Amino acid sequence: MSQPAVSATPSKKTAPSILELLYKHGTLLAILAVIAYFGITQDRFFTYENFSDILRSISIVTLVAIGITFSLIVDGFDLSVGSTVSLATIASAAALVLYRQEIFVTLLVPLLLGIAVGLLNSLLIVKFKLPDLLATLATMYAINGVQLTYTKGFSIYNDMPLPDGGTAPGKFIPSFLFIGQGELFGVPFSVLLMLFVVIAAHLFLTYTKPGRLFYLTGENREAARLSGIPVNRYRTYAYVISGFFAALGGIVLASRIGTGQVSAGASLLMDSVAAAYIGFSVFGAGKPNVIGTLFGSILMGVLLNGLTMMNVPYYAQDIIKGAILVGALALSHWQKK
Amino acid sequence: MNGLSMRGMEKSFGAVRVLDGVNFDVRPGEVHALLGMNGAGKSTLMNILAGAIPPDAGTITIDGTIYTFSSPREAKQAGIGLVVQEVDTALFPGLPIYENVAADEFVHVKQRPIRSLRQEKERAAALLRRVGLSLPPTKLVRDCSLHEKQLIVLAKVLSSNARYIILDEPTAALSEAETRRLFAIIDELKQQGVGFIYISHKLKEVQEIADRLTILRDGRVVYHGGARSLPLEDIVLHMTGTKRTAAAKQARTYGSDIAFAARGILIDKTGTTVDLYAHRGEIVGIAGLVGAGKTELAESLIAHRNTSGEWEIDGRRYVFSSPYEAIDAGLCLIPEERRKQGLFLPESVKTNLTVRLLSRLSRWQWISRAKEAAEADGLVRSLGVHPPSSTTVVRHLSGGNQQKVVIGKWLNTNARVFLFDEPTKGIDVHAKQEVFSIIRSLADQGKTVLYFSSEFHELLEVCDTVYIMVDGRLLARLPAAELTYEQLVYYCSGGEIHEPASRFRDAVEKNGAVHS
Repeated sequence: MSQPAVSATPSKKTAPSILELLYKHGTLLAILAVIAYFGITQDRFFTYENFSDILRSISIVTLVAIGITFSLIVDGFDLSVGSTVSLATIASAAALVLYRQEIFVTLLVPLLLGIAVGLLNSLLIVKFKLPDLLATLATMYAINGVQLTYTKGFSIYNDMPLPDGGTAPGKFIPSFLFIGQGELFGVPFSVLLMLFVVIAAHLFLTYTKPGRLFYLTGENREAARLSGIPVNRYRTYAYVISGFFAALGGIVLASRIGTGQVSAGASLLMDSVAAAYIGFSVFGAGKPNVIGTLFGSILMGVLLNGLTMMNVPYYAQDIIKGAILVGALALSHWQKK
Repeated sequence: MNGLSMRGMEKSFGAVRVLDGVNFDVRPGEVHALLGMNGAGKSTLMNILAGAIPPDAGTITIDGTIYTFSSPREAKQAGIGLVVQEVDTALFPGLPIYENVAADEFVHVKQRPIRSLRQEKERAAALLRRVGLSLPPTKLVRDCSLHEKQLIVLAKVLSSNARYIILDEPTAALSEAETRRLFAIIDELKQQGVGFIYISHKLKEVQEIADRLTILRDGRVVYHGGARSLPLEDIVLHMTGTKRTAAAKQARTYGSDIAFAARGILIDKTGTTVDLYAHRGEIVGIAGLVGAGKTELAESLIAHRNTSGEWEIDGRRYVFSSPYEAIDAGLCLIPEERRKQGLFLPESVKTNLTVRLLSRLSRWQWISRAKEAAEADGLVRSLGVHPPSSTTVVRHLSGGNQQKVVIGKWLNTNARVFLFDEPTKGIDVHAKQEVFSIIRSLADQGKTVLYFSSEFHELLEVCDTVYIMVDGRLLARLPAAELTYEQLVYYCSGGEIHEPASRFRDAVEKNGAVHS
């Protein structure tokens, strides 16, 4: 690693400590270090195809992680996003393959399902006052069960055989596949979608009145309530937004792989939670924020891509994901002190 | 020699001398009340006796043996028992009564790893009979009422063979009937030779239960003697001293129309209902001791707690079920726990000040940063927040400046009725005066102010009218100009309000004459 240029400003009285600098820019340094390492050791790393691949997978994680960021902002948590991704993947695939629907219904159904999951979560958490972790753990299992039950455990794909002997009437249509596989001006469409969502969510949370109220609700719920903020309404919105973005992620995932794989979103939960928590520390924000979440998912995406290239099996990658999440949590805890 | 005695107790915290040569003693089979205003040194004295803090000087003798306690456990072994005010902190709610009663032994007796449940239950049952409780020992503590929990703590204290028991505000949360029952049990235990140290602000009850009185003021004993021979008024005078006179107050004028009224407001904790009203521009104090239910009333008025009742603001009637509705109608609360309830600590002064103004400062939901900064800077200037910058993070401000921010967030809103709950808590003298002048100027602008406090001097200084609050009830509405500090203490301690209280007036006038 390069020597940090701390000695450049020695006369400054309130020079931030190395620890603080590391905290503020540690994520960026880590991303650069990881890219440098894989670039040197792996021949295929610095290729257009590989970067395009990394960006596509990042785009899905980021969409899901933005939803989690919203639930974290209101001091909640949503564990059910992974299952919601799976549900949305199955729902869009089923709409296309089993029911021959066009693009509109294919997008609408999973998004509505995502919103419904969000409403269910907020019913349990806001109305019935269940602890968020446990409530969404329960919905996570239930939703996963729903998509497995619907498909009887089988993936949905073009020309799949049906129980009655025939084959499925519909197929993945090009306009749907464009979302996850198409390109505009040489950039994957899903990456453009992600960038649009990141910028819109960032502007919304930073510059608008409702964005401000989301943060205030999470920072001190009682003070927010006594300031006349309808805190339960904002908490409900946050879980609905979380469900919506998870469903959007599920749509992009289905489009990217071109099939409706069961439980496809399961691994996205950990990646996006880690991304959102890594985001706490980016630029020293100290709170959940969308730009940080983007950098968090870039770090996760690059790391996982490189590890795959190094032939680290996916189950061993989980060890590294877990370690990164612990590190991010420790960092955000340290910042709070 | 029988009995407990503390001689020449001294204790300083830093430069502050909290106890200055205090003598105190308890005989077996008596109730000795220890009285004094907040800060008189009662808690310090009792903490020394319970082994929680070491004294600087002085000796503790119990039944002829001299002790120096270095831990609460040693005090317990010497026969001192403590029934704390918050009994829940002394019990394990998920365990049955008998395990709670025996809990101290689990912790301390190491030699007996195997317990006989039958013996333990029998022992607990016997102890429960001693404190007059007829509950099955297997009942879970969390299913017991507050009164029962208190007696369980008492039984627990007796189980460790305490001969001298400290009761700290034992009746603070009890109903009249429960208080009677507690007194009967105290009498019973007195017969068995237990000595009690009784701490309470409810002076009426003290007169009834106590055999002897010791009154502390500023770390010294100012009265020591029989309890029943001393009239209530004299107890109050000893507690407060006659040094202070009522500050000369400029008369304020306020409107004659009723701007705010609340009827049948339920206070969930005490189960009582409250009616109150205030004129336009009037500063109305709600005076009560700690635990009288002031915060509960304030939070019920803003509908932060579960409550019921009817509100009237400027002639319009409302029923509120959330702060959102109450604030929309023109109420606001400056809460007691400002860091926990009033501030967004990691945010800037600006964000905290503009939380209620965002609609006005934004167009199409987009906040205008320039307008927001201008608004916040204006408020910072007019409130005199120090440092005079709206970008400071609120966490780094002093208590007084934090309080200004909490108040400031309501100044440019449509709030018409301001509820201040202990607004001077934890802020310095200078900031107090600034808070008072903000409150006065609000009232002068025609806003209505309700001021909840147990700081009686401050109530008399700020308020036009004072409600007396005792045990979740408002007992009287009195003009502040006709009240003295001693009267206020007397009324809030449970003294009869319609008794002629001329003795206080005499004392104050005498005192005033000396000073002038």
